[in-house]
Amino acid sequence: MWEFIIRSLEASTIFIFAALGELIDQRSGVLNVGVEGVMLFGATLGFIAAQSTHSYWLGFLVGIAIGGLLGLLHGFLSITLGGDQVVNGMGLWILGFGLTTYIGNPYTGPLGMERIPTFLGLSPFFYLGIVLVAVTWFLLSRTSLGLRIRAVGENPAVAEVSGIHVTKTRYLCVTVGGMLMGLAGAIYALDYNPVWNYNFLGGWGFIALALVFFSMWNPVILLGGSLLYGTLWQLSLNPQLLLPGIMSRYLWRMVPFAATIGVLLLMATRWFRLRWGAAKPEALGKPYAKE
Amino acid sequence: MSTGKHRLKFEKRVTFAGWQAALISGLAIAFALALFSLIFILARINPLTAYQKMLAYAFTNRYGLPLTINRFIFLLLCTYAFIIPFRAGLWNIGMTGQFYMGALSTFAVVFAFGGKASRHADLSPELVIPLMLLAAAVGGAAFGAIAGFLRGRFNVNEIVVTMMLNSIASWLVAQMIKEGGPFMNPGGRSESFELPYAVYPPLIQEIPFTIFLALGITALLSFVLARTRIGYQIRAYGHSPQAAQYAGVSPFKIPFLVFLLGGALAGLAAYHYFAAVPGVYKISRNYGYFGDLAFYGIICGLISLGDPVAAIPVALLFGGLSIGGRFIQGELHMNFGVDYALLGVLMISLVAFQFFFRYKIVWIKTGESAHVGIHH
Repeated sequence: MWEFIIRSLEASTIFIFAALGELIDQRSGVLNVGVEGVMLFGATLGFIAAQSTHSYWLGFLVGIAIGGLLGLLHGFLSITLGGDQVVNGMGLWILGFGLTTYIGNPYTGPLGMERIPTFLGLSPFFYLGIVLVAVTWFLLSRTSLGLRIRAVGENPAVAEVSGIHVTKTRYLCVTVGGMLMGLAGAIYALDYNPVWNYNFLGGWGFIALALVFFSMWNPVILLGGSLLYGTLWQLSLNPQLLLPGIMSRYLWRMVPFAATIGVLLLMATRWFRLRWGAAKPEALGKPYAKE
Repeated sequence: MSTGKHRLKFEKRVTFAGWQAALISGLAIAFALALFSLIFILARINPLTAYQKMLAYAFTNRYGLPLTINRFIFLLLCTYAFIIPFRAGLWNIGMTGQFYMGALSTFAVVFAFGGKASRHADLSPELVIPLMLLAAAVGGAAFGAIAGFLRGRFNVNEIVVTMMLNSIASWLVAQMIKEGGPFMNPGGRSESFELPYAVYPPLIQEIPFTIFLALGITALLSFVLARTRIGYQIRAYGHSPQAAQYAGVSPFKIPFLVFLLGGALAGLAAYHYFAAVPGVYKISRNYGYFGDLAFYGIICGLISLGDPVAAIPVALLFGGLSIGGRFIQGELHMNFGVDYALLGVLMISLVAFQFFFRYKIVWIKTGESAHVGIHH
């Protein structure tokens, strides 16, 4: 049972990082549906870097760097070229899915390094994730940078008039967001489950994307959602620990995905919208061209 | 951007002709293949040799060509599964899940007729084959309709929903064909039971009859999209759901319908691959590979700009490239996943080229007059 709780928190950690990255993107008005692709890149290249240099530090750095680069690429396509953000995100996802399958294949198998030491029984990234949630919350709601980011996400034209550099702010957000997604992938492949296998994420990135919708763009609710999903995910992997003998293991694996659809549906109801209002950044997904 | 007396300027396209679209799409593919040369160079293979081998195997080889054609039929159906919602401005990335559900429905029919018991089971092909086809379409359509319904009725993001449904369907296939599942192979292998010989569909020159089905759908789809009221409504909704609603188009009916139809076609793709392609006739152990390949439908649909006829050459080319990629992977001792990598590179190249669908580059003479550059 203790083991189950630990693993759940560690799974949550990955959702926290990836979804936080996406949340920062979206607060600035940029929708990146390619979280999964960025995570796959961060995971695969981080895994390869760590294995070939025997350095965890390098592995994580590479994961963060490739995430940042892909965030920049998405930013370039979406902000500078002003393309359809959904198409651009899909591009990142399929690029990540296709290319990492090929690049990572020779490295299929376990990482073969001593596990990252735990702190008070938990992966250190869990604590880092909690700190990051607090920092992001503080930054977004209590600082002038956060105000600028939110302004750009709500109404870029008005933000521009009041002296905020929309393009710069958005580039900052997509790069930092991408770095967090890449790091989330690297945490998966180096710490949570240090074994490389083809398309091993199998939907974590898309769930992270949904978690941002669930959070109503609030980092603290995002933390709650991530903890819930980490637990649900872990339960779907080891149902016999809590609820033995109810469903086969394959049916259990469907549960987190079905639950995601259920929550999305709940949030789309009239009751929910009236009760909780529209927290969605007004300019989300819309390219902005300076007049 | 400027060089000497000329200045580079991007101008928004208002309209573009068919040949321009074809040119841009062609350039996007050429750019992707050039970029992909890097992969060959890194693997110490001459890219020209590699492409020559790929294309020769895919399009002229006695063993390769039938594979290409089978892959083409599959891709064309997956492309249409993407195109129909795409024309309504919606993203179906759930062709994979719809494909899996089509596969399960197809085999459910055979199972219901007792076809699991023996490959020599005496089934009536005149009855069972049409039922299998129907089941494939209905299974895919029902699964696709979930996303369409949620989008139309509750405005739930269809990208996340279809992706979640993909994972759900993938585990459902595992449930049905592995570890004692009802469709598990009686020989104990982790794949479905094999179809009885009686329901092998006819082949024409080694090509499954499904090619006529796919090409017939091309004609029907072109007609429906371009010439009918419902086609007009789909396009209007894709252009602007709000405006379409003012014009009397139901904001529920269109999303529901396009996902229903798209799902049906992805389901038929499953009938094609698992019940009509010679040498398969079962839901194979590596069903996930075919599910992944279904994503090629997204690229084919985007490159052909949602045009059902333009999708034919694109699907044929990509079918050939994916078969050729798999071939040279073995032939030239490359890593697994050449066809996956190609998928990724094609996609990102296309995304970058999207820009040229919206803008054209014009060279403007500067120097003589300062205001020549203003073209609006």
